[in-house]
Amino acid sequence: MVDLSVTIGNVRFKNPIILASGTCGFGRELEQYIDFCSVGALSSKGLTLRPRQGNDGCRVAETPSGMLNSVGLQNPGVRYFVENDLQFMASLPTGVIVNVAGHSTEDYVEAVRFLEPHREFIDAIELNLSCPNVKEGCMVIGASPEALFQLVSLVRKETTLPLWVKLTPNVTDISLTALAAQRAGADAVVAINTLLGMAIDVKTRRPILNNNTGGLSGPCIKPVALRMVEACASVLDIPVIGCGGISTGEDVLAFMIAGASAVQIGTSTLIHPSACETITEEVVALAEDLNISSISEIVGTLNLWR
Amino acid sequence: MAKEYTVTLKESIRVNPSTHFLSFYCPEIALNALPGQFVAISSNQFLKRPFGIAQVDKDKGTFSIGVRIVKDGTRYLATSPIGTEFEVMGPLGNGFSIEKDRPLLLVGGGTGVFPLRFLQSYAQEHSIPFYSVNGFRCVDDACFIDGERNSNCIVATDAGDFGVKGNVLDALEMIPFDMIRGSTVCTVGPEIMMKHVASWAESKGLTCYVSLEKRMACGIGVCLVCTCKTKSDKEPGYENKRCCKDGPVFLSAEVIW
Repeated sequence: MVDLSVTIGNVRFKNPIILASGTCGFGRELEQYIDFCSVGALSSKGLTLRPRQGNDGCRVAETPSGMLNSVGLQNPGVRYFVENDLQFMASLPTGVIVNVAGHSTEDYVEAVRFLEPHREFIDAIELNLSCPNVKEGCMVIGASPEALFQLVSLVRKETTLPLWVKLTPNVTDISLTALAAQRAGADAVVAINTLLGMAIDVKTRRPILNNNTGGLSGPCIKPVALRMVEACASVLDIPVIGCGGISTGEDVLAFMIAGASAVQIGTSTLIHPSACETITEEVVALAEDLNISSISEIVGTLNLWR
Repeated sequence: MAKEYTVTLKESIRVNPSTHFLSFYCPEIALNALPGQFVAISSNQFLKRPFGIAQVDKDKGTFSIGVRIVKDGTRYLATSPIGTEFEVMGPLGNGFSIEKDRPLLLVGGGTGVFPLRFLQSYAQEHSIPFYSVNGFRCVDDACFIDGERNSNCIVATDAGDFGVKGNVLDALEMIPFDMIRGSTVCTVGPEIMMKHVASWAESKGLTCYVSLEKRMACGIGVCLVCTCKTKSDKEPGYENKRCCKDGPVFLSAEVIW
């Protein structure tokens, strides 16, 4: 039997499959579709200090092998989450990652401060510095190594929980923001969030999304994500969690070989709510075929052409 | 409880030049579906497509949907040969809330008549009186107009080439109010039509349910891309609810159009 367990910082997860933020709510809706025993962790919908209703109008456009979304961080706010959803998440037989987003440094600091007394229910905090669908904060901060460093440094002082930083691919060189996160005390980086994109209705000559732009996800971004995971892993000492277009067990192994210690799966869940369970089964079968006894042993074993 | 199924296309009937009525074998959905609920069905495109359930046959174990060809995904569905397999999730969403002691006034526009057909069958099965008004652009756009020229059904076409010339509101005004007093209005169709039907119903003091349609992704309430604005006392004065999970059926008084 393959040992699927992985360790991120000092936290052990039973397997490397994590449900990505924004594609699994707080777990309730998926309960009837998926056995949470089959996934390593669940990352909550991005939470802000105060509730947000998100963007108006059309929020989704289908693309070849993917989709654009512009939800705009609709969420009930961190207080409501703690009072109504955190206990439920913690009751699931899987790891609990709380994803935090905001407009300003203060928003992030206060939200993380608010979560600190509830640390016993949380395995890690994931800072969303990469949402492309809000006008301030998030990606604006996350695209600048200096701004990212400052924010992560300040948040770092507020919590002893493991701190993951979810990076945006909408930069020239992702290794710079990855290094800034590490220098600021992050325990891991998650690469990548969605790619900024646009879809146009030629009849109306308007963008399909009322936000004009949105975040591209799905299998179409997998090659970009793989390349960025490799770029991060090759410069970092802290773990990289790979994310972007994963839909099969083979994809999981490819990301881990590229340097990911674990992976997040998002858009696949929107196509098949039980996708992560199926993918975990595929990882086991493939690892057995390849005589891998412990999945961690393949992390970063990519042999680049010289 | 909704699940994912692999289902087989059993029957495909061309209803009009651009619309097909498709029946799939899936006893679980046939047994559990309620009027107003929908299925999300795969095509040759990335995302599943939502369709209101138009009919169930519990004995045959089939459910049916109406598919109007819009682009590639719906063309694939409408032109697939019998025996083609599809991935389906359902039944999804809340469905109409029906009080059995109240008559129903069903107002459909275009392909909105399909989910209302299921509600109409339900009404017949449970001896709930109903009155039905269906509107189409023209006769070539119409569905189910044969055999429905009875006293409690009006068909209206904008072009006037079948039934009453005009839209559903023109048709609604033709019904003696005594016939629909106390009815619950259920409307499915283009948003602009539902908005006007809701306003007409509210002006007559009738409770009105609308079935909202938005572009969807997950269909189960996790991705938040199919939201609609509803009234709320809380900040900022409205709440974005999920069409797929909190709806698709909403009380019209709740909706911010």
